[in-house]
Amino acid sequence: MKVTLIGIPVRDQEKALRFYTEKLGFIKKLDTPLEGGNRWLTLVSKEAQDGPELLLEPAPNHFEPSKVYQDALMEAGIPYTQFDVDDVQQEYDRLIELGVEFSMKPTQMGVVKVAVFNDTCGNNIQLVENL
Amino acid sequence: MERMTFFEKELSRINRVIYKNQGQIDAIVAVRDYIDCKYETKLNLNLLSKIHFISKYHLLRLFKRYYGITPRQYLIDKRIEKSKENLGNGMSVTETCFAVGFESLGSFSVLFKTKTGKTPAQFRREQLSRSN
Repeated sequence: MKVTLIGIPVRDQEKALRFYTEKLGFIKKLDTPLEGGNRWLTLVSKEAQDGPELLLEPAPNHFEPSKVYQDALMEAGIPYTQFDVDDVQQEYDRLIELGVEFSMKPTQMGVVKVAVFNDTCGNNIQLVENL
Repeated sequence: MERMTFFEKELSRINRVIYKNQGQIDAIVAVRDYIDCKYETKLNLNLLSKIHFISKYHLLRLFKRYYGITPRQYLIDKRIEKSKENLGNGMSVTETCFAVGFESLGSFSVLFKTKTGKTPAQFRREQLSRSN
């Protein structure tokens, strides 16, 4: 078995696609139309294009518990998932400049530094740097 | 001042409980930095311990505690990661093996296959055919 996909629930796939590509810098990999305007929409990291894909899935719009869970995580400030960066402070500065909202500034936790931002599609996402 | 989220409160609580020894953390980060810079040289626990003035077993224990793997495992992962870069850039398998600090072609190939699922030669072929 292999890990090749990480699903992220989003409220609006088109908006998520723009945020994740234009602000975060991911690259669109697959965009397959499904029923009812939904898409099988995946992205890859620019630096690791053969790495795992991110699936932007519209689950909260079709499955109530997904929405409830997503809302609860958002409210508590808990990240849905995390992405690795070389320098959290630098990425924080870059994203702030682009108008991205952070609920947690760069903070050291043992041998990592983390920060948390709002992906505008219902999730908190954590950035991580290994110190 | 914005209110702290549940997540932030939890992080700062955990920080106080398990990450209170900043001196110790700095020392272990320094060991990791050293491995990152010198991965291609002959590194072992004795040497790391001597350079960083931490007893061997203490260093081993602390490294594992903060990074979740032993210094040896960390070094091997680093070397494999670097060898993937080298092979992707067209360096030969033998050259790569020694450039990243392995001392035998046999153990390099076995480790590489275990970690990546491919032999160094297969990996190199695939990378090069992809970039052409």
